[in-house]
Amino acid sequence: MDEYIRAEDLRKLYTMGTVEVRAINGVSFSVRKGEFVGITGSSGSGKSTLLHMLALLDPPTEGTITIADRDVISLSEAEKGIFRLSRFGFIFQDYALVPELTAEENVSLVAMARGEEAGSYSRRSRKLLGQVGLGERVAHLPSELSGGEQQRVAIARALINTPEILFADEPCANLDSTNSRAVLDLFREINQRMNLTVIMVSHEDWHMEYFDRVIRLRDGKIEEDFQPEIPDATASP
Amino acid sequence: MFDDLRVSAFLATRSIQRGGRGRNAMYIIIIALVLTNMIFLPSVIMGAMDVYYVQTVDYISSDVIIKPPEDVRYIDDVETLLATVNRMSGVVRASARYPMAGSIDFEDKTVAMEIDAFDPRDETEVTKFHKHMKYGDFLGSGDRDQIIVGSLVAGAKDDTGEFYASLGGATVGDSVVVRYANGVVREYRIKGIFNTKSYQADYMVFVTKDEMDAVTGSGGARATEVLVKTVSAEDAQPVKKRILEFGVGEDVETWEEALPDVVSESVESFAIINTISVLGSLVIAVVLIFIMTTIKTFNNRKQIGILKAIGLKKSIIINSYVMQVIFICLIGAIVGSLLIGTMVLYFTTYPIEFPDGDVTPLVTWAMIIENTALLFISSAIAGFIPAWRVTNEGILEAIRGG
Repeated sequence: MDEYIRAEDLRKLYTMGTVEVRAINGVSFSVRKGEFVGITGSSGSGKSTLLHMLALLDPPTEGTITIADRDVISLSEAEKGIFRLSRFGFIFQDYALVPELTAEENVSLVAMARGEEAGSYSRRSRKLLGQVGLGERVAHLPSELSGGEQQRVAIARALINTPEILFADEPCANLDSTNSRAVLDLFREINQRMNLTVIMVSHEDWHMEYFDRVIRLRDGKIEEDFQPEIPDATASP
Repeated sequence: MFDDLRVSAFLATRSIQRGGRGRNAMYIIIIALVLTNMIFLPSVIMGAMDVYYVQTVDYISSDVIIKPPEDVRYIDDVETLLATVNRMSGVVRASARYPMAGSIDFEDKTVAMEIDAFDPRDETEVTKFHKHMKYGDFLGSGDRDQIIVGSLVAGAKDDTGEFYASLGGATVGDSVVVRYANGVVREYRIKGIFNTKSYQADYMVFVTKDEMDAVTGSGGARATEVLVKTVSAEDAQPVKKRILEFGVGEDVETWEEALPDVVSESVESFAIINTISVLGSLVIAVVLIFIMTTIKTFNNRKQIGILKAIGLKKSIIINSYVMQVIFICLIGAIVGSLLIGTMVLYFTTYPIEFPDGDVTPLVTWAMIIENTALLFISSAIAGFIPAWRVTNEGILEAIRGG
């Protein structure tokens, strides 16, 4: 098995007043390169906490994470930042675009932060926006775009640096079912076309049809780790 | 480093271009007013001091003043001294002053004061009394029964509210009786009334040196000071040096050295007022910028958290806010400078009337640069702190808190 991401005995302990909360309690699993993994579970099961730890946004209390044979927990904050910028793509549920930047500028910003030349990232930004169906909307500000369009800009932004892993934290939470399906179709296409590893948090059962694999959490532990059944093509959410 | 600054500049530019123009305009106006406040009061004080200095040179001491040594009342052999000084390079003319204590009677008023004397030909080249004759004429050589008086000495018919004792409205052509300290009593016709707008100068009276010679009697009038006009203000020190090198036994001082201690104390007091005023303005600017950046960064907490999550360095985000503050300060400083320029132009045309003369605000480039630099540094710090605080928050804390 080609392990690309390896999480070993991950634990995350929060202290709320005098109460200790075990958000993640001994989770171990590995992800292959190019796998589309869905992390599901009920509210408070620890799915977002797990995603944040894998994405180096929140350190685990215990345990190790290895990405491409590199122990990423021991990296400094600055090194983690560089790692995220060069290897990860992020999509959050409420898009979080910079309101003063156009769609193209929001996408270009990440490449610009990597020190790329203007001509290079500008072309790629427009191309990516074209690929997510926003070729005609490159000069629009986020306030001029619908929720679905904004999320597609966020996806283009996540892809501009050709990441190795795409982390998505409930990317469809603020979208209607039509836009949700469009976004998930896009994820699936990117995953297959670019052999991109996708780790996505979701609480919608119908999203499972897009995942290669589902890790279901319950009370901070893995309840199930399975490959979902291929859905009936006529089924709809 | 350069790439990071490029990204910061890009974010800052777009934020200014597209984010809250009305709010930015308001900040710019406030910064402009703060800068105006920082510069205007000091410029008026500097203008008032300048008026005092000019009046001192024009009427009281000229550029260089020669006085007898301490404990000696009169200058010894003033004629030789005048002849020597008048021959020196850098000297326009020297004029000796020959005072005697006395009192002036006019109608029912009596004013006790010092009656001064000079040679009118010398005096016109050394002081500017002759250019400020409000009524009548300046003294001429050979005038013996005439006197010129300052406007404060002449006074007005209604002297209520006058600070100094006056002759109660004496006019040109009126006769006054002068009782000298040596017992001599003379009657003079007022030939002219001068008004220099200097309290010190306008409370003086003058007769000619020839008249004072006659009043003094044998030996003639004796000088207590010699005023020396130099070709330019910069010549004061070299001329003083030359006079001293010549070996005169008198004290020689430039006009600045001759200023009374009270003036330097006043200058120090004004400097304290200026500092307080500047600090007050800076505090306003710092608080404003701090609040502005705090509100902006607080509103953008989530966005800042996301940018950090994506991998943007903290320094890029902080610098983008500091650059916005600096830009607002830059435009504010330009608008403020224009405002100050307009005010100076206005008050040059319509000077502020101070008791000691008409004051025009005195603004120097050094003042503008110094105050603008202070404003920039304070504002940059005030912008940096809230941005630094928010970017130092944990990524998830910022994302959730937003």
